[in-house]
Amino acid sequence: MRRLLLLLLTLWFTTNLLAVDATLKIEKDVEQRARIALVDGSAQHHEKFFDILLSDLKISGHFLADSQLYRGGFSDSFIDPKLKSRDYLLKYNLLSGNGTKLYIRLLRASDGTELYKKSYSIPNSAKIPFVAHKAISDINAYLKYPDISWINRYVVFTRYTAAKTSEIILADYTFTYQKPIIRGGLNLFPKWADADQRTLYYTSYKGTLPTLYKIDIYTGSKSRIISSEGMLVCSDVSRDYRKILLTMAPHGHADIYEMDLSTGSKKKVTNFNGIDVSGKYVDDERNIVFVSNRLGYANVFRKGVDTPGVAPVVYHGRNNNACDAHDNRVVYSSRESSSSFGRNTFNLYLTSSRGGDTRPLTTTGSNQFPRFSSDGSVVLYIKQSGRGSAIGYINLASSQSLLFPVSINKIQSIDW
Amino acid sequence: MMKKIYISTIALLMFSGCAQNTPDAGGNIADANTLTSDTVTLDENNMFEDGSGMNYNSSSDGFASVYFDFDGYTIAPSMEKRMRHNATKAQSAGSRQVKLEGNCDEFGTDEYNYALGLKRAKAVKDALADQGVDTSNVVMVSFGESSPVCSETTDACYAQNRRVDLRLVR
Repeated sequence: MRRLLLLLLTLWFTTNLLAVDATLKIEKDVEQRARIALVDGSAQHHEKFFDILLSDLKISGHFLADSQLYRGGFSDSFIDPKLKSRDYLLKYNLLSGNGTKLYIRLLRASDGTELYKKSYSIPNSAKIPFVAHKAISDINAYLKYPDISWINRYVVFTRYTAAKTSEIILADYTFTYQKPIIRGGLNLFPKWADADQRTLYYTSYKGTLPTLYKIDIYTGSKSRIISSEGMLVCSDVSRDYRKILLTMAPHGHADIYEMDLSTGSKKKVTNFNGIDVSGKYVDDERNIVFVSNRLGYANVFRKGVDTPGVAPVVYHGRNNNACDAHDNRVVYSSRESSSSFGRNTFNLYLTSSRGGDTRPLTTTGSNQFPRFSSDGSVVLYIKQSGRGSAIGYINLASSQSLLFPVSINKIQSIDW
Repeated sequence: MMKKIYISTIALLMFSGCAQNTPDAGGNIADANTLTSDTVTLDENNMFEDGSGMNYNSSSDGFASVYFDFDGYTIAPSMEKRMRHNATKAQSAGSRQVKLEGNCDEFGTDEYNYALGLKRAKAVKDALADQGVDTSNVVMVSFGESSPVCSETTDACYAQNRRVDLRLVR
């Protein structure tokens, strides 16, 4: 009885001490962030634009932004006395009509000194979200905070529209901007093919065999890369964009191959009479992590590109069927309920390619399709919960997270 | 004084709840008991009765779809009659190509589900070979969860989607 009491007390203290640690971390982060208020000097207030600016400031992890909108003159340096306790004011003037123009001024809140100003112009008003993202990433860069240029990147995803029919869509990270770029038939697994996001790989099911194409999203020109019976996916691209990891199944079971794009030669990286999918480069591209059912259930494993040994990366959960990697970090989705049918709980975890330093990133709902940002600082994911679907972002350094509700039929795959 | 007000309020809420529910509840429950569940709609064009209890079929050209357990890719004994039927059909196809389309239910993620659909197609191909079919004219493709034949949220519906469809290549 005494031992049980001791155990309970230990558990109680451990739980509470951990809780205190978490609280202290958040307090510290709050102190480090710059307090900023947005002042709209536009003739007509654009509520969605304000919301996007606010989201950008929040997900950066570097600003503590007022959620309240302030209106005021754009050109003057008047500072409302109640805003003088902030570090900065961001004044902006959004002009819509023949295209969109945005003017911004960053002022020191204490004395109204202008620190930075810039203007932006785009012919296509649908791309307004990208103007907001660019403005905030520029201010962030001016203040010499760690880079957040990932907010300027396109997210590309596939959504099903009917049986054997899908669309590949471009979006900004908030999903406010969305534009289908490939329609007709079944086109899947888009993957960016260059650093500037001009080209992407995708799998077309138009012929008898799945075929991988590379398409220029600005000209529409496309080239055939390879075809394979069964299935074909480009799951990762090397940092120099000269090699790709493919999931192919020429013999009826999915294995991972590395393809040299300059020579067209292929190397079989995994060899298992079951399921090996989702290969991702790790450890300076000497190794890959991938999902396999070689232990009887889906789990994340690591293997050398040129060496035979395979080792598990994850040691918990009975279904870890999606992962992504950046350098030597791995994010994966783990099923944590056992309903064969219906909505299960899937949570995201961050770990290393060696399986150490594992920590949970989510705690509720169904969280899937984890993807690192290009710099590895943020994780994107799709969350399903009782309140619907949302696209989520977790800033790994600041622990800031954001959810944007989306009303999209089932998402098939995503990249950014 | 405040304590009395709280007790009175809680008592009022409790009694008012009871007073509202009692008359309606009896009537509604009696009505509900008279309802029967929804009727089925059979499409004779898409049926294959083999005694397995799984009478659906979404294959074409006289083939019969083969169904699988959740997350599984082995052919169940209840599907053997269908496989014998499919082997006979494949042998009579002559030089025409037979296409095996692996499919999954919606529970799974992108790549893994496509690989699972393919393993199901491979299981059917191997079973055809075991029954003497020359499989050099058999091609496989996985459609993952992209080609459901049923979209209701029921176990029976999900079971219809975990399948391999067979058809001749046009």
